[in-house]
Amino acid sequence: MTTAIATLKYQIYNRRLGLWLFMLSDSMVFLALLAARYYMQGTHRPPEVNQTLGLFLTCLLLASSFCANRADVSIAHGDRAAFLRNLAATIVLGVMFLLLVATIEWPEALHYAPPSTGFGTALFSLTGLHATHVLSGIIVLLFALFKGWRGGYAQDHWGAEGSIIYWHFVDLVWVFVYPTLYLVG
Amino acid sequence: MEQAAQLSLGARVLIGLAVLTGAEFWVAVSGVGGASFVLLALIALAKAALILEYFMHVGKLSPSESGGDG
Repeated sequence: MTTAIATLKYQIYNRRLGLWLFMLSDSMVFLALLAARYYMQGTHRPPEVNQTLGLFLTCLLLASSFCANRADVSIAHGDRAAFLRNLAATIVLGVMFLLLVATIEWPEALHYAPPSTGFGTALFSLTGLHATHVLSGIIVLLFALFKGWRGGYAQDHWGAEGSIIYWHFVDLVWVFVYPTLYLVG
Repeated sequence: MEQAAQLSLGARVLIGLAVLTGAEFWVAVSGVGGASFVLLALIALAKAALILEYFMHVGKLSPSESGGDG
C-alpha cells in the first residue's frame, strides 16, 4: 500500500514536471513576440487602442482563474458538485473572452492591421497566439468537465489539476500581453 | 489546509489581482510618464507571482512538496 502511494506520488510529480517544462517552453514563444513588439515599436501605442475593452478582457480572465482555482480546491477535497459548477463557470468565462476577442477586439484592430503597421503585427500575433491557447484550454477543460461528470477523479485527480494549471498559464500569459498591448505607451 | 481556508485564500488572491489590475490601468490612463513602463512591468510581475504561487502551486514542483493531494 505504502509502495503504491509512493509510486502514485512519483508519477504525479513526473506529470507535474512535464507540464511545467511544456509551459516553460511555450512561454518562450510569447516572450519572443513580446520582445518583438518592443523592438519594432518601442513603447509607442496607437491612440485608437480600446483600453476599456482590454480591462474588461482582463477581468474576464481573472474571474475565470478564480473559478478554476475553486474547481481545483473542490476536486482535491472530493466536492464533485462544486468542481463541476466552478469548472463550467470557468469554461463559460473563457468562451466569453474568446468571443469578445473575435467579434470586438480584432474588428476594431483592423485600423492598424498588418502589414501596414508594426503594432498591428504585434497585436494580431500576440492575441492570435493567445486566443489559440484559450481555445485549447477550453477544450482541455471540457474534457475534464466531462470526465468529472462521468464520475472520474475519485482516486487520482491530476487530470483535473493539470488542465486547471494550464488554464492559469493562459491567464499568466495575458498578465504580460495586456499591458504590452493596451497600457504601455 | 481545509477546503474553506483554501477557498478563502483564493478569494483574497483574486482581490489582490483585481487591485493590481486597477493600479496598472490607473498608471496607464493617468500618464505617469517615463516611469509608467517600469511601474507596469513591476505590477505585471507582482500579478504573475500571485498566480504562480497561489493558483499554479509552483511550490509543488519541489519533490518533497509534490503529491496527489491537489
